[in-house]
Amino acid sequence: VSALDPIELQVVTGSLRAACEEMGVVLIRSAHSSNIKERRDASTALFDAGGQMVMQAEHIPVHLGAMPAAVAAVLGESHAEGVSWILNDPFAGGTHLPDITVITPVFAPGKRSRERSHEVLLGFAASRAHHADVGARVPGSMPAESRRLEEEGVVISPRPLDPSSAEGQRTIEELVARMRQPHERRADLRAQLAANRAGAQRLIELAHRVGIDRLHEATDAVLDYSERRTRACLASLPDGVLHAEDVLEAREGELVLRLRAVVAGERLLLDFSGSATQHDGNLNCPLAVTRSACLFAVRVLTDPDIPPSAGAYRPIEVRVPEGTLLNARPGAAVAAGNVETSSRVADLVLSAFGRAQGQGTMNNLTLGNNDFSYYETLGGGQGACAHADGPSGVHVAMSNTLNTPIEALEREFPLRVIEYALRRGSGGCGRHRGGDGVVRELEALAAMSFSLIAERRRQQPRGADGGEPGACGRDLLDGRPLRSKITGALLPGQRLRIETPGGGGFGDAREPQH
Amino acid sequence: MLLGVDVGGTFTDVVLLADDATVHTAKVPSTPSEESLAVLEAVRAVLALAGARAQDIERFAHGMTVATNALLEGRTARTALLATAGFTDVIELARQNRPHLYELCRAAPTPLVPAELRFAVPERMAPDGPLKALEPTAARELVAALAASEPEAVAVALLHSYADPAHEQLLARLLAELVPAVHVSLSYELVGTFREFERTATTVLDAALSPLLSSYLGRLSQDARELGLCEPQIMQSSGGLTDPAHAGAHAALTVLSGPAGGVGGALALAALAQETDVLCFDMGGTSCDVCVIEGSQVPETAERTIAGRPLALPALDIHTVGAGGGSIAWRDAGGALRVGPASAGADPGPACYGRGGEQATVTDANLLLGRLLEDSPLAGGLELDREAAERAIACLGRELGLGPIDCALGIVHVAEAEMLGALRVMSVERGVDPRGFALMPFGGAGPLHAAALARELGVSRILCPRASGVLCALGLAAAAPRRDAARTVMLDADALSPERLSRERDKLIDEASAALSSAPWRIRVRHELRYAGQSFELAVEEELAPAAHDPGGRDLGALDPDALCAEFARAHELRYGYRDDRAAVELVNLRVSVWGASPALRPRVQGGQHPDTDVRPIVFDRGEALPASILRGELAPGTRVCGPALCALPEATLLVAPGWSGEVDEFATIRLMSA
Repeated sequence: VSALDPIELQVVTGSLRAACEEMGVVLIRSAHSSNIKERRDASTALFDAGGQMVMQAEHIPVHLGAMPAAVAAVLGESHAEGVSWILNDPFAGGTHLPDITVITPVFAPGKRSRERSHEVLLGFAASRAHHADVGARVPGSMPAESRRLEEEGVVISPRPLDPSSAEGQRTIEELVARMRQPHERRADLRAQLAANRAGAQRLIELAHRVGIDRLHEATDAVLDYSERRTRACLASLPDGVLHAEDVLEAREGELVLRLRAVVAGERLLLDFSGSATQHDGNLNCPLAVTRSACLFAVRVLTDPDIPPSAGAYRPIEVRVPEGTLLNARPGAAVAAGNVETSSRVADLVLSAFGRAQGQGTMNNLTLGNNDFSYYETLGGGQGACAHADGPSGVHVAMSNTLNTPIEALEREFPLRVIEYALRRGSGGCGRHRGGDGVVRELEALAAMSFSLIAERRRQQPRGADGGEPGACGRDLLDGRPLRSKITGALLPGQRLRIETPGGGGFGDAREPQH
Repeated sequence: MLLGVDVGGTFTDVVLLADDATVHTAKVPSTPSEESLAVLEAVRAVLALAGARAQDIERFAHGMTVATNALLEGRTARTALLATAGFTDVIELARQNRPHLYELCRAAPTPLVPAELRFAVPERMAPDGPLKALEPTAARELVAALAASEPEAVAVALLHSYADPAHEQLLARLLAELVPAVHVSLSYELVGTFREFERTATTVLDAALSPLLSSYLGRLSQDARELGLCEPQIMQSSGGLTDPAHAGAHAALTVLSGPAGGVGGALALAALAQETDVLCFDMGGTSCDVCVIEGSQVPETAERTIAGRPLALPALDIHTVGAGGGSIAWRDAGGALRVGPASAGADPGPACYGRGGEQATVTDANLLLGRLLEDSPLAGGLELDREAAERAIACLGRELGLGPIDCALGIVHVAEAEMLGALRVMSVERGVDPRGFALMPFGGAGPLHAAALARELGVSRILCPRASGVLCALGLAAAAPRRDAARTVMLDADALSPERLSRERDKLIDEASAALSSAPWRIRVRHELRYAGQSFELAVEEELAPAAHDPGGRDLGALDPDALCAEFARAHELRYGYRDDRAAVELVNLRVSVWGASPALRPRVQGGQHPDTDVRPIVFDRGEALPASILRGELAPGTRVCGPALCALPEATLLVAPGWSGEVDEFATIRLMSA
């Protein structure tokens, strides 16, 4: 079946995995944005010469299915040694504007170094990182009330970037000049380039190991292997059609999302036809983000040990009509789509398969002025499982970023933390309890703007199999309730308090535990 | 005479270094329910072997797993926590990430302090000092309430206490007054660096394990005294020894002491072999520990974890993967051959142990390939059952469509890929190029895989010590006493004056030196720096001549901040591929370590003779069986070893692949070079 024997297969898979991990280490440890270095909001991946993702390091699920779109966006270009590509346009390979992707083509070193034309393209190394600011009116570039993409920051259509040339330096300077803290942005881009160099080096080593002519065969074998593993998992799910419906809490009212999931043998169809059309706010998603959320949920439902490669996703079809919230047309505002709508898409798939819901939001809070931007996302309650309580105070789905330590935050920013605690009793009851949300209260020590994007403030996370729902989240400014998607100003001494939702319970609490 | 006793999961190893530098070794089965039983039995055994008396022992160094096992098994003290009001859940909130991306209900380790034993202290420090003072009356009332909950141990961890410990100190005085019998751990004293969750969790771990460790060490000291033995010195996670009182008061310092002894042994033997750069791997039954010696030093870190809990204390930077002799091979749903992480352990053990194990393991594969000798019993008097190994491997081979020999080769290859990954994490991922390094395998199974790993890493020299099967115990015998002190100082470029630097540094040197019972022989200062805005630090080290440190005279010579920053930029470029000379550098933490004298280790070979040699077939990488010389017993210095060959050492087996050759040096280390 495979070009590799069972042993070589395992060794090549391991090498690719290690290479992507190493890229991640370089990126996270040398970056400057707290989003990347503390929160690890970044991803690294390797691709074959045909643009298929052969492996990804798994730092954060929201990037899972969205990296291939970035490489697809530059695949048709002509590539040269040392010339990388940079982009963030959600409708040309990106997700939302703060996620900047750098793609580096990898060439086998020519037998004679002067014969550049004979160099063989081995594949691509790609890294994506959430930069702390990419322009826009609001520091942190996560505006709560944007209506068009260009209000959300600098849009970078795919463009070449050769950091060793004067032109490349100009490209970088021109881009970072339009963002806040340009020095930090420059350093983060440098960290991304360094990560790609590390990945390129490992891919070249692997090519030498298996033979440059056989690299393609080897990576194909890894893709096929992932596909076989996924098929085996899907085959073990009962055939049938499942439905789920849920909503997003837009300013203008609830937006309905619908899913029809069809399990047929070794294949899975996720069809979102009938979901709301794209709206005039920023809950829209490019298709790549919707795909990411679906693939995350499938990974939860199948076997997370399957190598995350394009092969793993071949048996899964994601169908979304264009012009809907989950496959928006170019130009739509998308800031919240990547963080919030993606969470809801994961909820839909997991609900269809009978899971209790987690908090279903990342509780995005951005604070800043001309001197700083600070973005944080807050954990909440996880939905309970059939055999265990849901954990409390964690990121539940599309994010898994760390918090910023209070002792780091209070040194770096004009902020004081008043309280950081579990929100006890917020998880839904059940045979197994949903996890509790958290309470976080901050005081501004200087004048600053804030931008809050949150969900599950009106609709509770649902339980499953008779379990009760988790509590809604709420947000308060000096004790007064706030809208869940809002941009505003804080004066010194003002306090912002966020209480995140609990997770749904599983099973009827009155039934005895099994 | 120096004595080292290392307690492992299966065996307790002992090494006695006699005054004439002769090395005596023994192995007895461990006694997990009361580790000291096996410790004393091992001591008696080696004394008998060496014909020595307990009174002849000058130093008794001990590595143990008491605290580690108690943690893994949940046998911790009833522990209370005093934390800043509004932040008592920090211990439970951790860093808010879930432990597994896709197993959504996998729980993080349960906090060692339940919610009802977390007490809110009405105080608040800011980075620059008190924001809300702790009133003595309120503090007294709180400590009284805590006393009523009858804890066995108390952890005190207040926000920003690394910057101003006054409130933790006040609570410590009240605890000493109101609950004098209860163990107390203070975060500023134990950890001293910023990041509240890691500092709190480390302090809580320390409190929760100290009562148990302290009573174990009390019993062991008592037993040692009755035997006429001196007081045991305890191995810390940092690789240095400390006295039982200090170890018992701070269990967190020894919780990763297990592999630290082995690193010490590797360092000592590498130094004797005059190798400064060595990759080391210690392969036992269930796992493989990897570390790197660079410039005759093993890197340290304060970011290790144990059983999913952070440990913000100095520990040798050791990376562990689940590839050991007992790791089980299996076929996954995609048809790939996998090895581990499940292990057959010691019981039933690999199929060839003949204790009912039916699954193929790495040890079974090595036996089938002729790389382990069935008639050369493993340590502990174990006979190997080749037929059982063959049955298990043939069975897996049928599932994979491979013959037994190809399957066995595959198992070894996949296990080696796992170890290779660990070696890469510790070298290339940290900016270290392994070519030019030597490779030192140890543990019972390590030397079997050295040649294959060396080839993959581009390494051309292998050092295999005679005592590689008991290297941890040897390292203990050769270890030095050590104390540490650390503080977050957070000095930006403007505050980085030579005077300020020396002042902060000297304070820590005095603190660490005072705790060391003898005069320091070595002082090391680690400056943890970063570019302003980064969140990870890189260390720039400075070694001070102890003579230069005169506690009365003060002046150690002013440090040059510019040199420090230049050194940091160099390190940053090496590690991450770029430097940024326009960025400001800040000094985040200072860590001072002081060492007492360490004994000189020059093991002498006893009764080394030219070995009996016979020739047997061994299957090497390409699948063909080659006739290989089999060398058994003690190898005398000067003995030539030429691959293909197999050296059956007393506690380990070294496989010498074709193309490798060398000889035994004067310290009984087998030194191989590739052609």
